[in-house]
Amino acid sequence: MAMRPIFSALMRNKAGLALIVVQVAITLAVICNSLFIVLERSTRVGRPSGMDETGTFTIDSLGFAADYDVRDTIHADLARLRALPGVIDATSTNTTPLTNGGWSTGVTTEPGRGVDSSGVQPAAMYFMDEHGLDAFGVRLVEGRAFQAGDVREFNQNTRIQSSVAILTQALADVLFPDGGAVGRQIYGIANDNQPVTVIGIVERLQVPWVGWTDVEQSVLVPAIQIDGNFSRYLVRAEPGQRDALMPQVEKALQDGHSGRLVRRMRSIEEARTRVYRQDHAMMSILGGTMVAMLVITGLGIVGLTSFWVTRRMKQIGTRRALGALRGDIRSYFQTENALMIGFGILLGALLTYGFNAWLMQNFNTARLPWPYLPMGALAMAVLGQLAVLGPASRAASVTPALATRTA
Amino acid sequence: MLRMNQLSKVFRTHMIETHALRELSMHVREGEFVAVTGPSGSGKTTFLNIAGLLETFTAGEYHLDGVDVRGLNDDARSRLRNEKIGFIFQGFNLIPDLNLFDNVDVPLRYRGFKAPERRRRIEEALAKVGLASRMKHYPSELSGGQQQRVAIARALAGEPRLLLADEPTGNLDSLMARGVMELLESINEQGTTIVMVTHDHELAARAQRNVHIIDGQVSDLDDGPRLAAPRPAAAAANPAAAVNA
Repeated sequence: MAMRPIFSALMRNKAGLALIVVQVAITLAVICNSLFIVLERSTRVGRPSGMDETGTFTIDSLGFAADYDVRDTIHADLARLRALPGVIDATSTNTTPLTNGGWSTGVTTEPGRGVDSSGVQPAAMYFMDEHGLDAFGVRLVEGRAFQAGDVREFNQNTRIQSSVAILTQALADVLFPDGGAVGRQIYGIANDNQPVTVIGIVERLQVPWVGWTDVEQSVLVPAIQIDGNFSRYLVRAEPGQRDALMPQVEKALQDGHSGRLVRRMRSIEEARTRVYRQDHAMMSILGGTMVAMLVITGLGIVGLTSFWVTRRMKQIGTRRALGALRGDIRSYFQTENALMIGFGILLGALLTYGFNAWLMQNFNTARLPWPYLPMGALAMAVLGQLAVLGPASRAASVTPALATRTA
Repeated sequence: MLRMNQLSKVFRTHMIETHALRELSMHVREGEFVAVTGPSGSGKTTFLNIAGLLETFTAGEYHLDGVDVRGLNDDARSRLRNEKIGFIFQGFNLIPDLNLFDNVDVPLRYRGFKAPERRRRIEEALAKVGLASRMKHYPSELSGGQQQRVAIARALAGEPRLLLADEPTGNLDSLMARGVMELLESINEQGTTIVMVTHDHELAARAQRNVHIIDGQVSDLDDGPRLAAPRPAAAAANPAAAVNA
């Protein structure tokens, strides 16, 4: 199909052309950037925490009775929980992934680097006892798990006393790029100058804060915090037993000591849902916006092309009378549409990267990877061709006899 | 060139049957200039549409330049129309968004000619109607007479065997009408068969033969060619000069 005459005819219908071009350009910019954000969020939401999310849950205990002894209660509670049928294991802990709350530290391979931030790797600290790895359901890939003798109790006065730790693979890789982390010493767990020996590496255990850049960098510390009257337990149930087990655990703890509140029992799955709620909402909103933009643009193309077909009925009849096949008429409108969408894509490319630059500056988003633009352009071209199909077919069905009818 | 035998055209709705043509028979020889006249609603336009393959017919036979058009599908009819027939419409039917060059180019593109061949034909056709210098102008920048000359150029560019003119002077004043008529006569003198539908008896009188249609039937068929009305000598020699209206 001849482009030049179609192009010159389009140039004489600038208002309609501009309408579609601007609409396509804006849609392309919104679609590309929204899709990028949605996929980025989707990846973030879908990444594994490293623990057994389906079988685990946490529950908090806060003693209020005058005779409440947190150390004794923790040990009694853990024994009681581990004895429950359907429990794989249980541990005392400070936090879990997907909660956006926990302890962080800076880990180094040399002492005294705390004041000098170079070489310090940010990491989350998970406290647990010798049952911790099983309770979390993390996979040990190197070294050994904690033993009872590794576990130290601590409070605000004593600080962390542990002398061994387990690293996530990501943290081990960044601290010891050449490998061989097990058996080496790190600093920053107990204090900046006290060495802690790495005894093992787990495949993955994400930090509690889902927005962290170094989300895979965690250190597992064999410690039980004996502070105030608060304790938190992580319980891992046999597959399929979690929901049935949760009320039993709650009752067992309540029965174990009446001078306390047992609260905030929450599965890790629920924690995931809660922590990513905003991301899901944003994905839904952006997804809806994308669909709406595509529908509006598609309808805009259908509307304008239908209007042009109606306005050009006589012209179409004349073209048919002069020898145009039905296919020629159809392809005329398809080519015209492709040209309009092409202009829209050119303008849209500028808008897309302009919009991305604005998002980067104001919302700290990443740079849009280049494949999004050709993919978006292809989507717009397909949308355009689909939208023009109906009006173009209507135009192709115009009878050539229309040419001899008076307007 | 054009042979219709017992041709009928019936328009049907679920309530009404309208017989636009009733067993119409007509024979137009190669090189003839035939005027088809008749009152409004007599079937002139239906005849022209069928002659130009713009519409199908209900019964009868129609041979165009030896081709039996019955049973041809839409695409085949379009190709035959493009190759054999040039159209001149009452309302000129130029495409307003295209300049004169591109307007004349429309049927040539559908014919599949290469660009140099199209350019040659367009320039020659526009020169023939005296508008070679206005190729880049748009129809809205021309007078009615000039627009009809562009339409004639468009019809001529494909070098058709048959020129069908539907009230070609219907939208023109008498001066412009005379110019267009003289141009058609000149084209006919060069060998192109012309069938012109008109309700203007004065114009019809200038054709070699008149066919009168009433109620979808030929009422008066003058089967032999006759001399047209006297034409100005200058117009015959240079058609463009005669229609510079």
